[in-house]
Amino acid sequence: MRFSLTREPITVSREPSPGAGGFVTFDGRVRDNADGQSVLRLEYEAFDEMALAEGQKLVEEAAARFELVDADVVHRLGLLEVGESAVVITVAAPHRREAFGACEWIIDQLKWRVPIWKKEHYASGESEWVLAQASPTEATDGLYDRQIRMPEIGAEGQQKIGAASVLLVGLGGLGAAVLPALAGAGVGRLVLVDADTVDATNLHRQTIYRRSDVGRGKAERAARFAKELNPSVDVAAVPEMLDAANAERLVQSCEIVVDGTDSLATKFLLNATCKRLGKTLVTASIHGFEGQVFTVTPDGPCLQCLFPETPTDGCVDTCAVNGTVSVVPAFFGVLQANEVVQSLIGGPVLMDELLLFDLAGKSMTKLRRWHRPGCRGCLGEFVSETPGWEVDTVEEAQERHADLQVVDIRELDEEPDGPVGSTRIPMGEWAGRVPEAPTLFICASGARSGRLVVDMRSRGVSRVYSLRGGVHGMVERN
Amino acid sequence: MTLKVKYFAVLRERRGLAEETVEVEPTTAGGFTAWILREHSLGLPPALVRLAMDGTFLADDEPLRDGAEVVLIPPVAGG
Repeated sequence: MRFSLTREPITVSREPSPGAGGFVTFDGRVRDNADGQSVLRLEYEAFDEMALAEGQKLVEEAAARFELVDADVVHRLGLLEVGESAVVITVAAPHRREAFGACEWIIDQLKWRVPIWKKEHYASGESEWVLAQASPTEATDGLYDRQIRMPEIGAEGQQKIGAASVLLVGLGGLGAAVLPALAGAGVGRLVLVDADTVDATNLHRQTIYRRSDVGRGKAERAARFAKELNPSVDVAAVPEMLDAANAERLVQSCEIVVDGTDSLATKFLLNATCKRLGKTLVTASIHGFEGQVFTVTPDGPCLQCLFPETPTDGCVDTCAVNGTVSVVPAFFGVLQANEVVQSLIGGPVLMDELLLFDLAGKSMTKLRRWHRPGCRGCLGEFVSETPGWEVDTVEEAQERHADLQVVDIRELDEEPDGPVGSTRIPMGEWAGRVPEAPTLFICASGARSGRLVVDMRSRGVSRVYSLRGGVHGMVERN
Repeated sequence: MTLKVKYFAVLRERRGLAEETVEVEPTTAGGFTAWILREHSLGLPPALVRLAMDGTFLADDEPLRDGAEVVLIPPVAGG
């Protein structure tokens, strides 16, 4: 097992190895052209001490990895004419498969890891030092071979993907589909943000987690998954909930932000923060078998251009309430990852469109979005006023109306009890009915009461309110 | 005027159907959205529902075309 450097023409002798059934030799020679230029000769230089140490390490790694009987690598230094051998790798293995594999692995790794430079002397009389090193992406056991073959990606596209950093906010259904696609594609740096722990009810759709992960932090488990899938990716786990206090710091740390959250407030906060800092945001949301996805670019129309008033969480339900099935977040998460990849390789993205897809009916709709003049989101401002029909506490509504009545619209068997003094009159009994006094409606989460109040207000009933967060919100606050 | 209305996400659920044809007086995107939300007690304020016609979202004051297919998009939160 030996790595050596020589300034003389390389001569190779094969030691007899009784245990070896396959000998493979790779002979890398000086070619008469490079990048369309005619090449007369090459000159190699090395940082000898470091090259020898790293080269020796490489040969030993190869021997262990491919169970080689022997391996010998010689690299030539100095001035070489066209046709001369620059590097010769000889390996001996029990079987041919390992021998071929080891030879290819060694030359890929050598170009990447061992500090040897080359100067090309052209027929034109000019000469140039070129990086003898291959890109890190070529040195990963052919991991990216199939995607580099795609003409739309190529080595250049792979470099861009490898140089990119992505902030993934939310490691639930969407995030768990985005992550393998981006880690697999070789995105250079991934920052994973989620304060939650893995729950047994997540596993059917968040397939990056295992049963043994239940109760453990999602950010840390997801980071571990990504690292195992692709060790060359730099992964950071941030077990925090993204909010107004940390949004700027986190968004600033990456080029592209992927929104995998199930909170409308967080989506609009990310939108404003990305606009302010000039970052690209890929956002998606799902509901039943449907979902939507689009990309907010630094210059394109934003989420707030579409919805000038920020909807409050609870105005529409999340997966925890509505239910969801594995295929839906998986599908939309992959579409989000595709937006990231397209964005990095300069492909088309949904920058002024919104894509809707219905997985039940298999129908796709693309709708054109536009800049809303004066949009506050585009200016980087997070618009978060509480709508007039919603209150945060019972007292807040009582301050507005001394004769306020509090009505709990949950079904009669729902627990826990509502606040003291409230009357329970289930939702179903309010169809077409108008309360006689100013009324605060409450339900479990604020979703049903919000819906009822919005509907009453659309009919001209003004002194009706909904308690944000419902009874559960009150319990949490206490 | 006649409009073919397509509902998405929570609106589809609350309306109980994916699409329907409706007859209305000539109106704007904002006027129609407010009317249909109220008509069917869909429980979302008009400001939170966007309307698209011919593949483009419309501003509230833009008129609707007779015979058009309009799409109503509510906020979607699931992830």
